[in-house]
Amino acid sequence: MKVVVSKDEIQEKLSNIQNIVEKRNTMPILSHFLLDAGKKESYIIATDLETALKEPLRIKVEKEGKICIPARKMFEIVREIEGELIWESVDDQWIKIKAGASNFRLACLSSKEFPAWPGMEDMEEISVNAKVLMETIEKTVYSAGESDTRYTLNGLLFHVMPGVKITVVGTDGHRLALIIKNIDGNLKEEKKLIIPKKAAAELRKLLDKTEENIRVTLCKNHILFTVGEIQFLTRLIEGTYPNYEQVIPSNNEKKIMVQREEFAKTLRRVAIMSKERSNAVKMDLSENLISITSSNPDIGEARDEITVEYKGEDLSVGFNARYLIDILEAMSSERIVMELQAPLSPVLIKEEKNEDYQCVIMPMRI
Amino acid sequence: MEKIILVVDMDAFFASVEQKTNPRLRGKPIAVIGSGGRTVVTTRSYEARKYGVKTGMNIYEAKKLCPDLIFVIGDNEKYTYTCREFCRIYNRFTPDIEVYSIDEAFLDITASQHLFGGPEAIGISIKKSIREQFGINCTIGIGPNILIAKLASDLAKPDGLMWIKQDDMGTALENIPASELWGIGSQIEKKLALLGIRTCGELARAPASLLRSRFGILGEILKAMGQGIWDRPFIVKEEDPKSIGHSMTLPTDISDREKVETYLLKLSEMVGKRARKHEYIGKTISLTIRYADFETFSKQAKIQDCTNDTHVIYERAVKLLDSIRLKDRIRLLGICLSDLVKDTNQIPLIEEERRRRSILQAMDLINDRYGDFKLTWASYITQKRNAGVISPSWRPSGVKSVRVK
Repeated sequence: MKVVVSKDEIQEKLSNIQNIVEKRNTMPILSHFLLDAGKKESYIIATDLETALKEPLRIKVEKEGKICIPARKMFEIVREIEGELIWESVDDQWIKIKAGASNFRLACLSSKEFPAWPGMEDMEEISVNAKVLMETIEKTVYSAGESDTRYTLNGLLFHVMPGVKITVVGTDGHRLALIIKNIDGNLKEEKKLIIPKKAAAELRKLLDKTEENIRVTLCKNHILFTVGEIQFLTRLIEGTYPNYEQVIPSNNEKKIMVQREEFAKTLRRVAIMSKERSNAVKMDLSENLISITSSNPDIGEARDEITVEYKGEDLSVGFNARYLIDILEAMSSERIVMELQAPLSPVLIKEEKNEDYQCVIMPMRI
Repeated sequence: MEKIILVVDMDAFFASVEQKTNPRLRGKPIAVIGSGGRTVVTTRSYEARKYGVKTGMNIYEAKKLCPDLIFVIGDNEKYTYTCREFCRIYNRFTPDIEVYSIDEAFLDITASQHLFGGPEAIGISIKKSIREQFGINCTIGIGPNILIAKLASDLAKPDGLMWIKQDDMGTALENIPASELWGIGSQIEKKLALLGIRTCGELARAPASLLRSRFGILGEILKAMGQGIWDRPFIVKEEDPKSIGHSMTLPTDISDREKVETYLLKLSEMVGKRARKHEYIGKTISLTIRYADFETFSKQAKIQDCTNDTHVIYERAVKLLDSIRLKDRIRLLGICLSDLVKDTNQIPLIEEERRRRSILQAMDLINDRYGDFKLTWASYITQKRNAGVISPSWRPSGVKSVRVK
């Protein structure tokens, strides 16, 4: 194999795969990317066995060939070089890299060792705008679990309805975020797919670079996102996602209207004095006022107030301030609506005049 | 003001309690053991010590040395009760008490000794009260710090009383092997021996630079220890626990996956229940395995949400087990919950989990009232009782106060 690549072309492509290639040394092949250089088309693939990224390359192929190249090292080399690079394989195990007067020899692995791109079954396709898809991920991913034993929580639920509607849900068992969007496409029946959190976060980064529509191919065990020329594939988490509809309170009577940014700032101030990890703050709700307090026997106390729109009975509720702040930061309207019922019942938070983005948090016993 | 610390150390505690409660055992060589099929000697009476019976020996080894040895299965409830009663006696003389282990306590009598006629008078009173109330002998060591007081009690054993005063420390320590000092184990002893240091006197005179180059920061502490200086603070109020763990030697070595899992469930429940009782949740779960050949290792995993839920602990432990390729039968299993924080009382969002939490709460209440494992997971019923040897780290209060009933 012998190819000529430009720094600009390869640096961005290698940067895209850095988070996918395996850093731990469990399977050496996973820290490599596969380069397939052909006269017709050339591409690179990286995978961690859960997600895979395939990017076409615009390179000059002087001699065709395939080889697995260490992703991190090649990225470091490319970063330090200006202009064009010549990659030439010596055999299955080595390639030479040349750029001006710089010469490298880099140990590689045979392309035969690289995991195969999975076969797709029961394919169906929908189309979503990149920015819309990005929004659904951004507004839910913070709520999803991480290394939870209830493994379905470690992903985002993509609930696709035949009526061209998609609901994306994230929950870690204490809080939940849900967003509903319209999409193009035609599905035979509704589908519930759980996408690993890490994959969703990676996908989000790719979406940042485009405004176009994304082709989403839904399969039995995988989901494929085609972002421009890039193909991003991820395995789905098997299992049953909790019934999210049941979790959303439908008749909370105490409705509060509050300035979003001011509320977040107040919470951040009070949370300084809350106990580590629990981040517990207490909210005392009275007519048109919320007073927020926190205390930590080792450090001290804090108290702050915010005026709100509220008419009704007084109520005291404890919260993890982090959960509230995460929601307020993910929302974008000027004012938000908070709906409460009792000290220990779930709380619903929505943007003003928007029913399609709903967040639920469970209080703390205080 | 010179501090005065008094150490009370029970003589052959478990064996003495057994001999006191069963007159037929008095004056005879006895060894207290656990109730399991393969247990070891936890304490032996002074009569048994003459034959060379040692703590940690198995039944066969002990019997070989002393054919008349009588084995008594330990009754942990008796010991913990007695230990709590001792505290009442100590409390008559000072409020500054650290119960260091089930048979050992440290008393700071600096401020109160003059009220009772001096340190020795207190020592004699404590000995007399324990003897009269419980028929048990103990040894008292008195010194300007715990290190010296503990050394004095070791030197005066059994049934003795010794006071090493600040001014006599140098002479008293001069020819004592350094390994007699509390905290100097066989590893440090070996390293010291390589430097030609055997006695406390030699340790005290060794150049600080030499000790520091060999032991790092510990070197300076060692030198001070050789001089009899040591300022370990009293742990009167129990510190926040760092971990909550249980382990058990199994009645027989096992390799059957299902059996291993059943023991893991039991251990998870023991850990979870204790954490719930003291309102702690933890982020790290570790699994300890000891093979039949005594090779022992631990593996740990972190979870995102701190927990004290039996099932979450169990599931994580099983996952850890999955990641291990067992190379031998298992002799001992242990589960530990660490990275502890006070329970945040965050209510779960998912209904099933709220229900599961309520079930655990109800189970805890029932078992608190009627005894551990009265209400238990069906899969555990086939298991036999464990060996039931009390942990040396047992304390009369706080997280380490495990119920032994």
